[in-house]
Amino acid sequence: MLQKKICMLGAFGVGKTSLVRRFVDTIFSDNYLTTVGVKLDKKTLAVGAETVNLILWDIAGEDDTSAVRTTYLRGSAGYLLVADGTRASTLDVACSIHSRAEAEIGRVPFMLLVNKCDLRSEWAIPESRLDELAALGWTIRPTSAKTGESVEAAFQEFAERAVR
Amino acid sequence: MLANLLLEVARSVDHEVAAQLPSALDTDPRVEALRHILLEPEQAALASLKEKFDDPDQFAAAVSAVLPAAIARAISHDDRLGHELTPVVETATQSSIRRDPRTLINILAPLMGPAIRKSVAETMDSSLQSLNQALKHSLSWQGLKWRMEAYRTGTSFAEVVLRHTLVFRVEHVFLIHRKTGLMLEHVAADQVSAKDPQLVSGMLSAIQDFVRDSFDESALGGIDTLRLGEFLLWCEEGPLAFLAAVIRGNPPENLHGVLREALDSIHDEDRTALENFDGDVAAFANVRARLERCLAQQEAPIDQGTTPFLWLIPLALLCGGAYWLVQRHLDGSAFEDYVRRLQAEPGIVVTGFERRDGMWHLTGLRDPLAADPTELLGAWHVEPERISGNWEPYQALHPAIALKRIQATLKPPSTVNFALDGDTIRATGTAPRRWIEKARTLASVLPPGSAHLDLSALGDVQQGELERLRDAIQARPVFFGYGDALPVPGQETIIEAQAAELRELAAASKKLGVTVRATLIGHADSTGKDAPNLGLSLARAEAVRSLLRKQGVDPELLAVRGAGPLEPLAPGASEQDRSLNRRVSFTVSILD
Repeated sequence: MLQKKICMLGAFGVGKTSLVRRFVDTIFSDNYLTTVGVKLDKKTLAVGAETVNLILWDIAGEDDTSAVRTTYLRGSAGYLLVADGTRASTLDVACSIHSRAEAEIGRVPFMLLVNKCDLRSEWAIPESRLDELAALGWTIRPTSAKTGESVEAAFQEFAERAVR
Repeated sequence: MLANLLLEVARSVDHEVAAQLPSALDTDPRVEALRHILLEPEQAALASLKEKFDDPDQFAAAVSAVLPAAIARAISHDDRLGHELTPVVETATQSSIRRDPRTLINILAPLMGPAIRKSVAETMDSSLQSLNQALKHSLSWQGLKWRMEAYRTGTSFAEVVLRHTLVFRVEHVFLIHRKTGLMLEHVAADQVSAKDPQLVSGMLSAIQDFVRDSFDESALGGIDTLRLGEFLLWCEEGPLAFLAAVIRGNPPENLHGVLREALDSIHDEDRTALENFDGDVAAFANVRARLERCLAQQEAPIDQGTTPFLWLIPLALLCGGAYWLVQRHLDGSAFEDYVRRLQAEPGIVVTGFERRDGMWHLTGLRDPLAADPTELLGAWHVEPERISGNWEPYQALHPAIALKRIQATLKPPSTVNFALDGDTIRATGTAPRRWIEKARTLASVLPPGSAHLDLSALGDVQQGELERLRDAIQARPVFFGYGDALPVPGQETIIEAQAAELRELAAASKKLGVTVRATLIGHADSTGKDAPNLGLSLARAEAVRSLLRKQGVDPELLAVRGAGPLEPLAPGASEQDRSLNRRVSFTVSILD
């Protein structure tokens, strides 16, 4: 059995917690996010013949007053950056966190999830911006915490990359 | 040249030649030149070595180059080097301390500081623990009990409290990879349910990070101890992994040592696996046994404050009380039964009874002829010695007692039977006439209201069998010849008949309780003088008595008398009359 520590990072209110809520096992309440600044969830997936437990560290969202505690990133096998498609600023935050994360733990697999793809018409992030990031080697997946669209597939894909 | 060469050969072959002839080689400069040509490299090497050995600096440089390798090899062989160096190192250390102690202090400070701090902290912890427990329990009921125990055993109250409360159980032990926060192994005590241990491990790790991050990033450890209600979380930090133990109760401080030891041994044996951990926990399959050793527990001491035997005392008292009550009730009801029986007994009147000092006291009237109250106890469960009776004598008119009184007064012969018929006592059977007359007298003076004595069915014994026998015996005299003292021949049948009826008479009189007496009266005829005739008549009576005795008649029954010629049967003087007068006659008297 494999275990992998994966962090969920992003600006405040992008839907990190909602994104995982429907797909994971947890024993902790969301209160931990506001108290300790992190909440753990577990997602069990099969990668090939191997069972992989992704231990998801849902780290409190970053806002104007508090930065992500990068201490929590240590030992991560990878991280998921989450942005809100309807708020362009959240992508900037995701980029900022990415650079700090890379500085803290080095290059590890990561993936950008652009949430709220069910509200595609309201997206404020230009496609060109995403294309630029994709050109830099970023893996970007649009997801919807509301409908669950692409979430499972994104986790599966990320797990495979993290195990590899 | 050739001769010289031959001479050298001879010298080297034969020692005597060598002794006699000096060698030409020593003086030959060519030999030296040849030697130089042949041995130049070796000579240079030897010279260099010699120089190295001779010059201390060079020799030291050479030894220092191989010293580490030499020491390593020596250590790998055996412990001799260590033993040899020990005194040297000791001396060196001592001289170093003497010269400048600060050097050693500087070396040890980073080690000793945390060690001392930790030791002091743990000691303080332990003291505080006992102090807290002592305060917590000082005012409770249990606390008072423990205070008594401390006083009794001469130990401090804190010690007693600690002893009683030092009960714990390690319920979970998590081994957590420090860097990733991933769970390497988890063990739980029996029958303890665990929420997802992988998530718990991660969260513990996150909390450790949080604390470190928030307060002191340089600290090696994070939270040492966390208490939540009766649960205690103890963390032992290592460089690569940490142990988190979830403990219920109050563990002893030495449990830290147990956890520490387990963590250290895991670090020692699985260091590589810990360093290279990438999420695959298969490499840590062997640590489980070591973690299980940490699942210590101490059972709560069995409360022996009250032994089960102490409960037996009130129980026994209760049983005893119940038994006493039941016994008392049974005793009371048994006695009441007895009193009822006494009341029903003729001639006894119970006027009162009471229980005093475990004794039953009875008072009442009792006819002396009534039954003995003690004998009436019979199967009743009242011991005779527990009853004292105060009986006033009186005369009862009850027919049963009246009958007893009549019997006691009249002493009836066995031929008389009495029967009670209501208020009438009826006498049946036979009795001598005089007894019957006595009974009639008594019956006439019985007090009014008393039972009536009916004697009408009683037969007079004299009218019966005895009189018939008497008449028969008296009617049968035995006759004698002239001057004979023995009966005339042919009288044997009469004797036999008389004997038979006399025996019958004796039996009948005995049966009736009547005394009878048969008198044999001898007679003589008027011939001759009176005096010899008197003797003859007595002899005749004796002879008959003797014959009757032979026939089995009781001699006590028989009296003899001689009448001579004075009581003739026939008054005439004829031979017939005289022969009738020569006889023995019988008189049977029935006495009362």
